[in-house]
Amino acid sequence: MYNVRALSYAPTTLALSFIAFLAVVYIGLLAVVMSYAASTVAFSQSVRNSEAAVASLEARYLSKVAEITNLDYHALGYEKPGDRNYVSGVRATALR
Amino acid sequence: MRGQFRNRIRGILGLILCVAVLIIVRLYFVQIVDGDDYARKADRQFASGANGLYDRGSIFFTRKDGTRISAATLVTGFLVAINPQTIQDPESVYTAISAVASTTISKDDFLAAVAKKNQVYVEVAHKVPQEAGKALADKKMAGVQVLRERWRYYPGNTLAAQAIGIVSYGSGTELSGQTGLESVYDGVLSRTGQGLYKNFFAQLFSNIGDMVVDARDTREGDIVTTIEPEVETRLAEELARVHAQYKSKETGGIIMNPATGEIIAMASVPTYNANDLRSVEPAVLSNPHVERVYEFGSVVKALTMASGLDAGVITPETTYNDTGCITVNKFQVCNWDLKARGVIPMKQVIMQSLNVGASWISDRLGQDRFRTYFTKLFGEKTGIDQPAEGRALLANLSTTQQVNFNTASFGQGIAVTPVRMVRALGALANGGVMVQPHLVSAIRLKTGVEKKIDWNQTVPVFSATAVHDTAAMMTEMVDEKLDHGNAKIPTMSVAAKTGTAQLTDGHGGYYKNRYFHSFTGFFPSYAPRFIILLYTNDPQGVQYASETLNKTFLSLVHFLIDYYAIPPDRGTNVANT
Repeated sequence: MYNVRALSYAPTTLALSFIAFLAVVYIGLLAVVMSYAASTVAFSQSVRNSEAAVASLEARYLSKVAEITNLDYHALGYEKPGDRNYVSGVRATALR
Repeated sequence: MRGQFRNRIRGILGLILCVAVLIIVRLYFVQIVDGDDYARKADRQFASGANGLYDRGSIFFTRKDGTRISAATLVTGFLVAINPQTIQDPESVYTAISAVASTTISKDDFLAAVAKKNQVYVEVAHKVPQEAGKALADKKMAGVQVLRERWRYYPGNTLAAQAIGIVSYGSGTELSGQTGLESVYDGVLSRTGQGLYKNFFAQLFSNIGDMVVDARDTREGDIVTTIEPEVETRLAEELARVHAQYKSKETGGIIMNPATGEIIAMASVPTYNANDLRSVEPAVLSNPHVERVYEFGSVVKALTMASGLDAGVITPETTYNDTGCITVNKFQVCNWDLKARGVIPMKQVIMQSLNVGASWISDRLGQDRFRTYFTKLFGEKTGIDQPAEGRALLANLSTTQQVNFNTASFGQGIAVTPVRMVRALGALANGGVMVQPHLVSAIRLKTGVEKKIDWNQTVPVFSATAVHDTAAMMTEMVDEKLDHGNAKIPTMSVAAKTGTAQLTDGHGGYYKNRYFHSFTGFFPSYAPRFIILLYTNDPQGVQYASETLNKTFLSLVHFLIDYYAIPPDRGTNVANT
């Protein structure tokens, strides 16, 4: 069995060790905080870039809708039907 | 043993010191050796111009299938600033900047800015696209800074511009909503604080309260409108065509769900491109549907008819003697063609748009009841979510001169905003109950929770029977009179009424040959999905609304039937017609 004896280090040594430990922890914390901040900023920026890309797609969609709405069918060679008849539809069976 | 233990402690201490030294050396390389590179990278990633990166919530259109399309959002790009103290070759710098940025200030202004040697920061170009900005930054020109910028962008350009509104500095130093929904929902759309740039540990040590509950998250978000972009586009295109064809002063239209008050489309001409306000007249920025009042003319006859039926002073079978013209308080009130019809039933007042008939109904109602109905219909604000809602001009109904009530019965002598008119007419399409017109259905908070807005303030005005009978008359008008009966859709009942009002001359009288045209209608007649109100102010070379707005109305009806696949409500057993 080990004979456990009380530590007999000088208080100065203990204090210095503790300070060194705190310094390392502090520097480590700084590194973690800065890394986290950098990754947060990078993520935020990528969200903004995605939003901008979506806005660009939406602008294209709306301009396509406007283009289709403003189509001149006559210029494309289409004509409205000269006569219009309404007829009753043929009943379709449920089984197809 | 003691020695061994001491050695172990020393060993661990040494290890800790080694790690510390390594970290310090790494810090030295990051901060000192590569510091400039990281600063530039960081700058380009998230540093902004003098005012910081702009942030604001989005406004969405809602397609018929529920998909949301941005009506107002943010885009990211760059701004270009110069340092006059370090610029070496102003000419080539200006050439390089103006080649990539169409918003660059003029050459004279640029050279004047370069001459200001007491300044270190002058912005010379804004809204530079991503690729162009990066290309300019890569040139690394002395005295030129390329900084991140975000700005408000409206993907629809002119689409629903007046309803959506704009942001600007106004009289302050912050960008805020000035008109339209941007203004009304500014508290929801504005962003305070750092948004996504929160640093978790910094927040933890400085403001732990906000980490747990941030009051802004319960208030800030995006807004979802009821506007359907394809219907809005169609309405805008149709109005633009009418406006151009008849060289009107202004033209507008509203399409609304009469059961809920949701505005599906709201457009007017002239309008503006919200992405380029450089040469826009300030008067165009306001929403005429909400702020301007007009005498709508004969569309009001439908409301007069419903009032008479609801009060029980007439029935659909009641007849009167139409003499073509009557004299009231020394004024002549005449039909549009000055012709007498003899003894005719009530429905002819709607079908032939007879002023004498409408006057007769107002006489039967009496001044007090007429005033009560019209005050209920038009006297109160609609509460629509648009700023600066105008008031109705109903002062003539406060007098005791009978001619004022007679003229009001066919929509002259009183003036209301288009949104009040569509709400009142909407009662004919909603069992006699007026709803609350509105543009925004929900607020989507930053937390993801969607808060529906309660727009359930209704005002009952007419009985269901009265509006049913009025709708029947308006439907018969479409089936038999509109476009000489060619407008009839055998499989869909459509109720409509035209309106042609003389314009006031500003001296208490009316012009003889200048008009305000209006057209209203809803379909299917007895369980309406949509009500449409159209108007065009001072069209040239034409007299009656059936000439200007007839085709537009029918085109919109057919479009809506097809787009929403509205099933037929009559004539399903019809053979050839």
